[in-house]
Amino acid sequence: MELFLLVLRNLLARPVRSLLTLLGVLVATASMVLFLSFGEGLRRALFQELSRVGPAIQVVPEGAEGFVFGGLPEISPETLKALEEAGRALGVRAVVPTLFLTRGGFDPSTSFLFQGLPEGTPPDLLYPGLKAREGRLIPSEGGAVVGAKVAKRSGLALGSLLRLSPRLALEVEGVLEETGGLADNLIFVPLRVLQEALGTENVTAVLVALSPGQKAEAVARALEEAVPGVKAQTTSEVMRFAERALRISDLVRFGISLVALVVGGLLVANTVMMSVYERVREFGVMRALGARRGFIFRLVLLEALLLALLGGALGLGLGGAASYAINLYTLDQVGLALSAVTPRLGLFALGVALGLGLLAGLLPAYHASRIPVVEALGRV
Amino acid sequence: MTLRAENLTKRYRQGEKEVVALSGFTYAFPPGATAVVGPSGSGKTTLLNLLAGFDLPTEGGVYLGDTPLHALSEDERAGVRLRHMGFVFQQWNLIPTLTALENVAFPLLLAGWPRRARLKRAAELLEKVGLEARLHHLPSRLSGGEQQRVALARALALDPPILFADEPTGNLDLEAREQVANLLFALGEARTLVLVTHDLELAQRAGRILHLKGGRLVREEAPQAKG
Repeated sequence: MELFLLVLRNLLARPVRSLLTLLGVLVATASMVLFLSFGEGLRRALFQELSRVGPAIQVVPEGAEGFVFGGLPEISPETLKALEEAGRALGVRAVVPTLFLTRGGFDPSTSFLFQGLPEGTPPDLLYPGLKAREGRLIPSEGGAVVGAKVAKRSGLALGSLLRLSPRLALEVEGVLEETGGLADNLIFVPLRVLQEALGTENVTAVLVALSPGQKAEAVARALEEAVPGVKAQTTSEVMRFAERALRISDLVRFGISLVALVVGGLLVANTVMMSVYERVREFGVMRALGARRGFIFRLVLLEALLLALLGGALGLGLGGAASYAINLYTLDQVGLALSAVTPRLGLFALGVALGLGLLAGLLPAYHASRIPVVEALGRV
Repeated sequence: MTLRAENLTKRYRQGEKEVVALSGFTYAFPPGATAVVGPSGSGKTTLLNLLAGFDLPTEGGVYLGDTPLHALSEDERAGVRLRHMGFVFQQWNLIPTLTALENVAFPLLLAGWPRRARLKRAAELLEKVGLEARLHHLPSRLSGGEQQRVALARALALDPPILFADEPTGNLDLEAREQVANLLFALGEARTLVLVTHDLELAQRAGRILHLKGGRLVREEAPQAKG
């Protein structure tokens, strides 16, 4: 405690330098927190979504593991037929081919994600709990049912026209209730219309809903055996894949933020080293009065740790505030909180800041504790 | 506890040249004040460095009672200084970020005293040197004489049997010099006080005077006995 007070007094004795160093660590930690918060946000959003998805199995072409949203339509009508037959034989509840089309615009209000479903297939088979707020739930031949967020964002209402291609426009026949999930951002259209627009008879994925009592893992393996060239993924497999992908992206983002962290660490090292050089005589006096080397070592190291920890804590706060602001925007625009400062991210950030302080303080602390007393006192 | 130097010798290398800073110094410091005088370069500071364990001799040794100071590690010597020695330097050497009270309490912190006891003891010592009104002042807000009195109080914090004073009045005006000298001799009376000084008038107040020249002890006198 007394040591802590000594350290604090010394930092306060040079307020501008301490503040600037603190700012350096603060910015480095805040940027790291923000970068990594996207991974945490995506992780949370994806797992929430996946746990809400109805069908337990999604079948994709072999080698196209992961999510169906961005995949190419590579499942041919023959493969689909084989899957339907295999599904019937296995006694599954439903086999639903689906096709995704992303129409990107310059801003979120002109960007749409279409999901094509076979005629008569209710969207709530895939997204349980989905209800129509206005109009119908199942789109007719030339119609579309839009999610709550996309309707709000793009100003779509019953009767609005949605253009899929220069020749093809669909009328909005239903607007869904808000669920807080992915379906809020989707536009459900008939599968055939989407296939025509893309000029293909293929689909992106085939979703398989299980009958009560069926085990997802067993059905998935049986489907793969019955239909060569496909990968049947259970929800937990998709989650594992998502986790793997997110870990890699976490590493990449941490790598980027490492640059800022190294600069922050160098700032702390520089400040503490300068402070050591300025206080050589003071350390000499302490040693002359009976302080052991370890006392001086701890004194200097604590200074670096305190700077790093304070900067880290403030950086965590700033990163959290930035993450909150980003979420306000993304929730408004796409209905998803893309950034999350979770407790484990907070602990990680503080740990990194402490590690930084430790690394930055070791050399100055060692140096300070090794200065010969006679030299430190200027008594050579 | 007797402080004793035996054949104390310190040689430095200065480039190609070897400099003998102290040579064959042997002396047992009795209780009371012993002044060490001599011109610049006579070895006074080197002697104090060796006696206090700041530095190690090239030959010979320093003994505190039966403990060979020169044979101890750096941290062990620090421990001996903490328990048995007090220091007053020419430049006041107070810790600038600590108040007068905290400066005096600092050796007590190193010795592991609880906070309340430390501050009580420090306040008593500061009162003894007439600084009861300056307890919470930082060194930068104290005059030279006041800073030296704080240093004196700090030197006595753990009631050490040995007190080293290196030019304790060197940077002071006449009035402060007199004040500090009076306190030094009064508070150092029951201890072994080793006073290194250029100031012959101050040295005359010690029980013994050791004259150094060229790194050697050339003469010992007892001015008060003479008087």
